[in-house]
Amino acid sequence: MKSLKFKPGLVPGVATILVSLVLWQVASLFFIPVFLPGPLYLLDLIVEVYSDPESYSVIWKTLVRIFNGLVLSMFIGTGIGILMGIKKHFESFMDSWIMVLLTFPAICWAFLSVLWFGLSEMAPLLTIVLVVFPFVSMNIWEGTKALEKELVDMATVYRADRVMMLRKVLIPQLMPYIFSAMRIALSLSWKIALVGEAFGVSSGIGQKLIYWFEETRVDMMLTWGLSFMVLMVVIEIVVFRLWERHTFAWRHKIAN
Amino acid sequence: MPTDQNNGHGNVVVSVNNLTKKFPDPMTGEEFVVLDSISLTVEKGNFASIVGPSGCGKSTLLNIIAGIETHDPSDGGTLDVYSHTDAEQPRVGYVFQNARLLNWLTVEDNMTFALESQKIPKDLWKERVNKYLEMVGLEGQQKNYPLNLSGGMQQRVAIARALAIEPDILLMDEPFSHLDEITARKMRFDLMEILMHSSPTILFITHDLGEAVFLADHIYMMSTKPARIFKHIKVDVPRPRKPEDPQIFDLEKELVKEFFSVLDAQEAEGD
Repeated sequence: MKSLKFKPGLVPGVATILVSLVLWQVASLFFIPVFLPGPLYLLDLIVEVYSDPESYSVIWKTLVRIFNGLVLSMFIGTGIGILMGIKKHFESFMDSWIMVLLTFPAICWAFLSVLWFGLSEMAPLLTIVLVVFPFVSMNIWEGTKALEKELVDMATVYRADRVMMLRKVLIPQLMPYIFSAMRIALSLSWKIALVGEAFGVSSGIGQKLIYWFEETRVDMMLTWGLSFMVLMVVIEIVVFRLWERHTFAWRHKIAN
Repeated sequence: MPTDQNNGHGNVVVSVNNLTKKFPDPMTGEEFVVLDSISLTVEKGNFASIVGPSGCGKSTLLNIIAGIETHDPSDGGTLDVYSHTDAEQPRVGYVFQNARLLNWLTVEDNMTFALESQKIPKDLWKERVNKYLEMVGLEGQQKNYPLNLSGGMQQRVAIARALAIEPDILLMDEPFSHLDEITARKMRFDLMEILMHSSPTILFITHDLGEAVFLADHIYMMSTKPARIFKHIKVDVPRPRKPEDPQIFDLEKELVKEFFSVLDAQEAEGD
């Protein structure tokens, strides 16, 4: 298998991580664990936390929120991005709004959502969508500028209807932009989800973080934060990379 | 695009009458004339070719006929494309200078894209795909992706896609000009072969008089700036033709001479 071969960048990458872990471990020897725990100490804590089945339902709650927020942001963001690309007056209407939304602080949305929707599921969802969709729209809008007019003309001559034009001509050309938007959206969504959970619904990983913050337990905050980060990286690598490879298979598919 | 049915127009498929097209100059904003009073007729089963120098506005004319560029009727002229099938609108096939395939779809799906767009019943798709892929010499390539094909083969797929809708009119815009000469020559012979088996109605644009004389029954010679048709010739040489056939060769020589005299006269007029 080709993918199992060592990549040239792998060895220095692994070495850097190992050196950092050693330095971290050494530094932690000078502090008490609740202030700065070492990686070995953390590993013990992670094992302990995840031997409690309750922890998985905490993670699951957060994952569901991230998933919902991500999907909704992608749909709204892609729709607006495409419309901005193909309708001139919609573009001039939206582009300043996108700029405003991009600069608006995420933490404000988190608080506002709680004030508007209380401690319901709507609050973290709205926070994620309002923060993430403008980034998605920006990316897709950028992508529409690279659409090939030649292909659109071809499809017009053959009288492709709107749905065919969108599904077979426009979206496939936007796929690289949709994937990069989805990467940004995922990395933003999970961070925003934690903020929303901390200040709003009081459940999920965000609630754990704020709880252990109030107890001044850096070790427990890192346990939850780091383990969840690792999960997100794994999802990014496994799900997105495989999906992307499958989507762009036409670029190097050889007959039979 | 006009959508008239065939109601008493006989065999006429494309009828262009005194068509004029003006473009605003992007620098000055002044309008300049791209196409000046163009008239031509293509009848069912004809192979008509427009020959003119590069950049003379030939592609603009084809795009107007295809409906991807507009002409302002107030500039004068009419354009009609008549359907000879029971389709609501005339079917137009277009082979561009480059293949313009959807690289993310297989060869077969590229062809069914056109068939579906034309609302051709689904149960006909498989038969059409197979028939026209075989006609362009690409049998067995249904599941292959365009990027695995050479430039010439991609252009063959584009031709198969255009033929598969069984168009009322097949527009071809210098379809072989991006290919190397050996491949282009082979493609011209193969197109000749196709013409002898089925007789599509074709409007073919080229800057290559040899190509036009070799392929077409009707040649419209076009001058440049603005584009005018200054001569219409009928080529009465039966197919299959050979480029070295003295009749073909002499006609080409004669037309080249005429072309230069017209262009020179135009230049002298311009000075």
